[in-house]
Amino acid sequence: MLGCSQRLQREAAQQRLKGRAELLVRESGGGAVLTGPWLVAVSVVLPPGHPWLAGGLLESYRQLGQLHGAALAAFGIAARALAPQELPRVQQAIGVRPVDWACFGSLSPWEVVSADGRKLVGLAQRRRQSGVLLVAGTLLDVPDWPLLCDALGQSQEAQLLRQRTVSGAELAQRQIPPEQFAEVLTQGLEHALT
Amino acid sequence: MTGVTLGTEAWKDIDPATEALLDKWLVAQGDTVRAGQALANAVLVKSNLEIVAPSAGRIAQILVPAGQTFARGKPVALLQEVA
Repeated sequence: MLGCSQRLQREAAQQRLKGRAELLVRESGGGAVLTGPWLVAVSVVLPPGHPWLAGGLLESYRQLGQLHGAALAAFGIAARALAPQELPRVQQAIGVRPVDWACFGSLSPWEVVSADGRKLVGLAQRRRQSGVLLVAGTLLDVPDWPLLCDALGQSQEAQLLRQRTVSGAELAQRQIPPEQFAEVLTQGLEHALT
Repeated sequence: MTGVTLGTEAWKDIDPATEALLDKWLVAQGDTVRAGQALANAVLVKSNLEIVAPSAGRIAQILVPAGQTFARGKPVALLQEVA
């Protein structure tokens, strides 16, 4: 799935995929994501005037990022939503250059990382006068990074993505059933939004 | 002539060095638009946002083409207001 500003790469990516995966362009920002059973994605639609929207883009990200951190904690996974002021230090500590074309290849405010700064939850949003769509994706297992990199013509960057990310299963040292994680997220959202 | 900008609320708490990407124009130079109409989409910190017309008028000039970035407060188009 490509971010909205990557739509011009759609045709070339489609050709490289050779039918190995379906290709979509989403309406929110950010980089490419490979969806599948390793990823739990959440979409939250909020009406204008909702409290989560009052503080601007970053405040919405903070709410959604911290909610994901709490959901991961329920499975014994130590992860935190990254405050904007922490970004430069964590970027440097990772020691691997960003991969900007991939959602999970770089860090933005309030995305969720492990203690050593590897990313496992990516965030994005779409704001319209009629309402706001917040989206998040959590890596519960390791995606097929070589497939994603091949689709974007960046085969040499799979190792960088592997180094900059971590999955829930790796941190918990056990598989996290996606449906169980989705249930905890749903409960958290219901509690926070009502 | 009025400059069309991405609303100041979008930039709240964003690092001053960060620029937005003009993702897509929804109107063309010369088009007549109404107040509040979405004119373009921009991407800022992974957020897809609308740039709306501050008043009714005609798009006199597009200053930032699709695919280019722009800084906080920079007009992306000039709007010739109509009485």
